[in-house]
Amino acid sequence: MEDLDRMTAPHVRFTDERLANRLRLIVSEDHLAPVVAVCIWYDVGSRHEVPGKTGFAHLFEHVMFQGSGHVAKAEHMALVQAAGGAANGTTFLYRTNYFETVPSHQLELALWLEADRMATLLDALNQENLDNQRDVVKNEKRSSYDNRPYGAWFHKLQGHLFPPEHPNHHPTIGSMDDLDAASLDDVSTFFRTYYAPNNAVLSIVGDVDATQARAWVERYFGEIPASPAIPSLGDVSLPPILGAEKREVVVDRVPLPRHFFGFRAPVLGDPRFDALEVAAQILAGGKGSRLHRRLVRVERIAQDVAIYPVGLVGGASMVAGQATVRPGVDPAVVERAFEEELERLGREPVTDDELVRARGLIETYELEALQRVDERADRLSMFATVFDDPDVINRQLDRYLAVGAAEIQAVAAEVFRPDNRVVVTYVPATEPAAATGGEETAA
Amino acid sequence: MTLDEILAARPSPGQPRTYDFPRFERTELASGLRVLAVSLPGRPLVSASLVVRRGAGDEPADVAGATILAARAMTEGTRRYPGVELIEAAERLGATLHVDASWDAFAASVDVAASRLGAALELLAEVAQRPTFSDPDVARLRDERLNDLLQVRADPRRRVEQAFASTIYTADSPYARPAAGSEETVPRLTPDVLRSVHASVLDPGRAAVVIGGDLTGLDVPTMVKAALGSFGEGGGDHVASTTPAPPTVPAVDRPIVRLYHHPGSVQTELRIGHVGLPRRVSDFHAVQVMGAILGGLFNSRLQMKLREEKGYTYGVGAGFDMRRGAGPFSVRTAVQTAATVPAIADSLAELRRIRETEVAVAELAAARDYLVGVFPLRFETPGAVVAALAGLFVNELPDDELARYRREVEAVTIEGIQRAAQDHIHPDRLAIVAVGDAEAVEAELRSAGFGELEVIREEVPPEAGEAGEGSE
Repeated sequence: MEDLDRMTAPHVRFTDERLANRLRLIVSEDHLAPVVAVCIWYDVGSRHEVPGKTGFAHLFEHVMFQGSGHVAKAEHMALVQAAGGAANGTTFLYRTNYFETVPSHQLELALWLEADRMATLLDALNQENLDNQRDVVKNEKRSSYDNRPYGAWFHKLQGHLFPPEHPNHHPTIGSMDDLDAASLDDVSTFFRTYYAPNNAVLSIVGDVDATQARAWVERYFGEIPASPAIPSLGDVSLPPILGAEKREVVVDRVPLPRHFFGFRAPVLGDPRFDALEVAAQILAGGKGSRLHRRLVRVERIAQDVAIYPVGLVGGASMVAGQATVRPGVDPAVVERAFEEELERLGREPVTDDELVRARGLIETYELEALQRVDERADRLSMFATVFDDPDVINRQLDRYLAVGAAEIQAVAAEVFRPDNRVVVTYVPATEPAAATGGEETAA
Repeated sequence: MTLDEILAARPSPGQPRTYDFPRFERTELASGLRVLAVSLPGRPLVSASLVVRRGAGDEPADVAGATILAARAMTEGTRRYPGVELIEAAERLGATLHVDASWDAFAASVDVAASRLGAALELLAEVAQRPTFSDPDVARLRDERLNDLLQVRADPRRRVEQAFASTIYTADSPYARPAAGSEETVPRLTPDVLRSVHASVLDPGRAAVVIGGDLTGLDVPTMVKAALGSFGEGGGDHVASTTPAPPTVPAVDRPIVRLYHHPGSVQTELRIGHVGLPRRVSDFHAVQVMGAILGGLFNSRLQMKLREEKGYTYGVGAGFDMRRGAGPFSVRTAVQTAATVPAIADSLAELRRIRETEVAVAELAAARDYLVGVFPLRFETPGAVVAALAGLFVNELPDDELARYRREVEAVTIEGIQRAAQDHIHPDRLAIVAVGDAEAVEAELRSAGFGELEVIREEVPPEAGEAGEGSE
């Protein structure tokens, strides 16, 4: 097999240290553009939520933009934007991240803003702001999930793949009832428990002087006390496979049936998960992929196909897939063809040419992503948080390129099996939707 | 010092590093094809784009969607690389190959390692010049579009965009139509129709190749000449190198409300606006600053009111979608169903306020400093620089447009903002287009007096089946 001459992926040089309060600081200089990215990962996400409080980690993330001891409501964004920067935060099952990208001469501002809310968030907390952001988050849930055709698919797969008592079982966005139940006390307790320097990784990447950056971090974060006891999640291990297929049919206001597939998979960092990422490229990465060729192009039974490996920690990851059924086609035919292609991957090795093509694209995607300082900062914080090893940023591409046909076949045989599968099928309501008014809408 | 004392002192910014938009070299091949090359040292992944000033806005109404469908069909195979072989050839170079069309332009693009740029340009030339448009591929893509139209009707976010466009423009404007074609026009898009679109795109006088990345040691003009020197041979007759902007007559001359019934919807998707502005407008920079204050910044007036004060929405934006012709001006949001009428009222109040009273000094400063400051962040990667240069070419803007940008924004005044608002925002002819649950909002909407109300009840989701049958 003839691989491409490899591009020289730029090596990301960085320093990695801890302050006395155990805040982990990673600094990487890159002076190509006059910009710098700041990214903090807190090792807390929706999997740390307790029953009755789903959606809280994300609601809390919103509260982090409602002001702190020396910053007024909405001022965080105002200061960053007036500095010519961009900022946001996101919440997922296993982490919450906050980030700013600013012109390099504004780095100190970004660090001060992050430090002020890590140190003094509760000084600005009030019921009015919590209620306001609760309303905003409920509208986020409506916009992103409830008012979209097929909108609940990911949450349904999650619910089936992880047992109810497992922390990965429930959606990060939470439920309306639980959001309603969130109180100021919950915010305080959550902040005191998880938002501490010893539960965070701060990465600074870009046009900075590392010595100066370190001095500012020491100044603004150095005195913030560590949290004495960050609770551990306990045993979150899971059997590697589901044990029996789970199926659900959802009657919804959709024009075309669509299958969503879910499989339990090895956790992030397991080399088998890297193999799954390469397998996903070969199966569904664009027009040259197996599923697109067969279902969309040749047999013309599907409108679109996709595979998404979703890397998780603690128990298992998931691989999601989807196929939209073309009008007039039996959904069972589409399901069978989709599953056959996944199962074939476990029986026969992929060809050399498929591997070469997948590697070429993965290399380009990786290089594309690593061009940006914000992506590098996010990955450094991620790899430090998840693997305790930020240098994975320089090895991840090699890990993908090391995946061979044997590894793909082995992981496909382990993962893509009927007793490890969830199939959620959305079907159009049979009653004309116009006839369903008010209470009688199809469940 | 205590922690509180340390945090009580806000830091001040350091000395900004100078930044200039990257300089580019402009050459022209004998055919008239322009070549813009921008050297970005340290960026090993190169972006290359062949862009033609010929978009969906330039196509006849009876074959609406032909330009976008032609673009999609071009990566389905060429004479040298039939079918999937084309994509396989790109993947063997580690190259991502795309062909896209917008209202304004047609673009074939590739991202690839600098060391493989020559081979990627050959592939770009092949896909741009020798697509096959085979019958089965075109039939399948037509069906995919028809099926996608079914999905549009079922998805409030997509439905409202179509409804808004067809409300504010008269039917003779292309902007009234879905850019990718409608149920009526898509069945007409035969391979021959796509071939004639393609012939009109093969026009070196309206085309440019834009390449950005680490081009050290590469003779870009020679490489482009080798690959695309004959681009345009065999194309249609091309007389003028400029393209007139599409017609954009407003269809609305008084405030109106259109409510598309989406039963059981938990939110109302809202678009409020009218025909806006083309990209080439004399007070472009004042419009940008005004738009940022009204609905562009995270803390824009609309966002502070509807989200941070009222909690009606996850987000609201407003602005001008500028094209070669006058694109739409709109306020865009989705609000919980019960807040539909108050959210519209608040939006209308903000549209009046920005016209009637001067913005505060602090508001001007926040918007100006953001637009000036964020400029270098926008152009961190070759892809972003190439897209910006392609935009200059498509809109026939001067070469120094981006180099002047920050000076122009800094010169915007409070008076200029108010003039821009008064000239370009028209509360007396706003269309309010909503997709939501009519059972829940119609009565309140009717008594609100925003304008004449029309309620449209169509089947949601539409009956599927026709599209598939037609294709077999």
